Amino acid sequence: MTEIVETHHAADHQPAPPRRGAEHLTKPGYIRAAWTTPLFWALGAGIVVFFRWLGGYEPTWDWTVISVVAFMTAAPVGFLAGIGSFDYWLYYISGRPTREEDHSGHGAYSWRDYFKVNTDHKVIGVQYLVTTFFFFICGGMMAMIFRAELANPDMQFVDTQTFNGLVSEHAALMIFLFIIPAFAGLANFAVPLMLGAPDMAFPRLNALSYWLLPIAGIMFLAAFLAPGGAFGAGWTGYAPLAVEGTEGNIFFQMGVQWAGASSIMTALNFLVTIITMRAPGMTFWRMPLLVWANFTTSLLVVIATPFIAGSQFFALFDRVMHTNFFNVSEGGYVLGYQHIFWFYSHPAVYIMMLPGFGIISEVIAVMSRKPVFGYRLMALSLMAILVLGFSVWAHHMFVAGMAPWLRVPMMVTSMIIAVPTGIKIFSWLATMWEGKLHFRTPMLFALGFISMFVLGGLSGIFLASVPIDIAASDTYFIVAHIHYVLFGGSVFTIFAGIYYWFPKMTGRMYNERLGKLHFWLTFIGFNGTFFPMHWVGLQGMPRRVADYAEQFGDWNMVISIFSFLLGASTLIFFYNVIVSWSRGEPAGSNPWRALTLEWQVSSPPPVFNFDQIPQVVGSPYEYGVPGARHAVLNGGARVELPDKAHEEETVR
Amino acid sequence: MRRGSIVRITIYGVLAGILASLVAVLVPWLPTSASEEMDRIEFTFWFTTIICIAVFAVVAAAIMYSVLKFRVHPEDESDGPPIHGHTGLEIVWTAIPAVLVTAISIVSAVVLAQNDNAGPNPIRIAVTAQQFAWKFEYPGEPRLTAGELVLPVDRPVKLTLRSLDVIHSFWVPEFGQKSDAVPGIETTLVITPNRTGEFSIICTELCGLGHPTMRAPVRVVDQAAYDEFLAGSAGSGGQDDSGEAVFETAGCGGCHAFAPAGTDAQVGPGLDAIDPGGQPLEDFLRESIVDPNAVLATGFQPDVMPATYESSLSDEQLDALVQYLVEGQQ
Repeated sequence: MTEIVETHHAADHQPAPPRRGAEHLTKPGYIRAAWTTPLFWALGAGIVVFFRWLGGYEPTWDWTVISVVAFMTAAPVGFLAGIGSFDYWLYYISGRPTREEDHSGHGAYSWRDYFKVNTDHKVIGVQYLVTTFFFFICGGMMAMIFRAELANPDMQFVDTQTFNGLVSEHAALMIFLFIIPAFAGLANFAVPLMLGAPDMAFPRLNALSYWLLPIAGIMFLAAFLAPGGAFGAGWTGYAPLAVEGTEGNIFFQMGVQWAGASSIMTALNFLVTIITMRAPGMTFWRMPLLVWANFTTSLLVVIATPFIAGSQFFALFDRVMHTNFFNVSEGGYVLGYQHIFWFYSHPAVYIMMLPGFGIISEVIAVMSRKPVFGYRLMALSLMAILVLGFSVWAHHMFVAGMAPWLRVPMMVTSMIIAVPTGIKIFSWLATMWEGKLHFRTPMLFALGFISMFVLGGLSGIFLASVPIDIAASDTYFIVAHIHYVLFGGSVFTIFAGIYYWFPKMTGRMYNERLGKLHFWLTFIGFNGTFFPMHWVGLQGMPRRVADYAEQFGDWNMVISIFSFLLGASTLIFFYNVIVSWSRGEPAGSNPWRALTLEWQVSSPPPVFNFDQIPQVVGSPYEYGVPGARHAVLNGGARVELPDKAHEEETVR
Repeated sequence: MRRGSIVRITIYGVLAGILASLVAVLVPWLPTSASEEMDRIEFTFWFTTIICIAVFAVVAAAIMYSVLKFRVHPEDESDGPPIHGHTGLEIVWTAIPAVLVTAISIVSAVVLAQNDNAGPNPIRIAVTAQQFAWKFEYPGEPRLTAGELVLPVDRPVKLTLRSLDVIHSFWVPEFGQKSDAVPGIETTLVITPNRTGEFSIICTELCGLGHPTMRAPVRVVDQAAYDEFLAGSAGSGGQDDSGEAVFETAGCGGCHAFAPAGTDAQVGPGLDAIDPGGQPLEDFLRESIVDPNAVLATGFQPDVMPATYESSLSDEQLDALVQYLVEGQQ
């Protein structure tokens, strides 16, 4: 076991010098942001007022427009400028000499550095994860409140508006501020290390994409302060309800823009990093499957995310600028919203699933001590899901009144997606076959994921079948299905990934006993919460209702009790993570005896990852192959296997 | 693979299959069907279920066997055999799921075609949805409008759905069929009830604060009772214009509590003891119905109640509704 060592390249890499006097106001930081944010707000508000006065619009001071322009566009840009996201670029654009890069904003020396703009992908990865888990808690608390309301028929704790707001916020936070960015956080940490790269391709862009996230999250949460309450049209924000509804809907429509911009920037960064910054010898067919998964996910994000941005802008413009995209009385087309929205939001399901597939491939191979079964087909099935994912969006609209001929083709493509997904499931099972299975917490979550995702996939087959979908649409069956896929699927893989890379991120090992307890309580709470929803829905309980028929009272009470267990189980996770982070056992550089590159450097890794760029010589999963090597590291990092010339290693 | 292993994994598979089948059989998954369409949906459902139970059993058996057979002591540092793949197996588990989903797709497509087919001469009923009420227009002269859906048993019915404001969705669980009512376009739905009884239409598309209360009664009756319903209601002038009927068809009860109508919703202010704030009660009620934002009750938001009643209610209906509310004051 190696000691935790502070590894710095001290010569060219130091913390920034302390500040004096007025420097606090002019150098990047929260103090500067404290005056740039209101300044930009005032600029935004001034532009609105000036043009409304010029055009003679009444009232000159219109809160809706001010909200969109000053609060939700200008002020966040002012904040980003204040904390220093744009400094380097602005120097460059304005032709001033750029300051020599002193790497003072790279790497973390104390906990304070995690609250600053930082260009180190490992710091950004941790920033992402801590931020997303904060919003996970927010979204989870909302679920606890509305499950308390739903435990009995009739209304008890909240009114209908609050209920609709809680349900919509829960989904919006969990999707846009937890699952999607949590995967981006894990990948941010792991992908450059796995590629043998010193950092992401665009570190400053990487920092900016992180800082857009808290802005989006605060915007979502601030919707509760809007007159009339938070957005209550569901996370799908269907027109015309979201256009005609309360002002709270603007917070969703604008928040999605910030979260979406963050996603797109990160995805571009991943694509360029993966294409151009692979270590010598790291061919595409030697990349770990996590990297493959993030490569395909990033392609999905870059292609699909502009569509949700578009759909939300259209809905916003209908309200603020009086356009008529979805205004029926002026020839608008209501279903247009749904087509554009789902053209993003179905691929988004894979954006929320493929990175998890990557995590599971890593965990299962390492914890079974066997090569990934059918590596190439695993990578190709990711690409197949990527392509097919763009041809199934209208299966969300089988009852929406769209062109009837579109239903059967969309059913067929949706069914076909089961084939590449099945290949992945069977290949994981085959990877475990005859392996040496170690049931550490990441492996438990991986197995939990496989079994739950199989159930979610099978209920997906029911929903792909048009006649069954017509009966099941918009009922609790859908709620059950989406949670089997996004909780039993995505969230289980996020937990697997956190436990798996926790020793690498922190240098310390989590508590195994608490990890296992967390898994079992989550597994039981999850199934007790979501399995009964299948038949409750088919029997006749629609989704998104604050009040429901008496006959579903008993099952809803059961569901609520299990949901509280599920909520309580995450407390164990947070306790484990926080205590282990500060006081856990030192983990050593490679506690899992894994072959991929991130485990060949110290824990936590040095600021620039590798002393020298490693030379990749073989597949990353050659467990049990005598003498096989994934890479040669010259920089003094621990060598995993006996040194034996093994230049060309075929994958299969 | 040894013989003993094959036996064991088969036993696990059978156990998992039995467990899944018990869950499938013992839990009441679907409501009791009341239409030919739902009968076919049930067939598709069970066809898919059988295939899914088989797939589940295979996966569960593989997981159970691996977990029990291949786990090692934490101190064991050995590696498993370096198996990289098996082309034959990979072809098998690509081909079999492809065949299974093709079978489900074919069955589904046939059922869909049958469920969309109303036959040559269906009864055509126009359904109008608005926040938060359903309205039904029956064929014949004069056209009968009612707040309840009455259907004759064993006759195909073709519903034409429209919406006056936002998207709603028409669903009767026992009929299986569902379709959104979308502003700006007409959608259709075919239902062939095959069992008499009383059911409930449930709005399944979030349509605003009154969404959970947007229900309407459905009665499936024999042909004679259906004819009687049409004639009986038609005899009274085409539609029932009493205040009580207007209160029901306009969907007031979806949001407002009013003791004489037996409603207890709390989306909007209660109507049992209205404070007209100095105006004559009748004028105040009339204004509040056609222009809901004019005076807001404390604690309630503007723009929640539809502002469409001036056009959707006739003068006689409005008078009757106001009178009904005035008489019901406590």
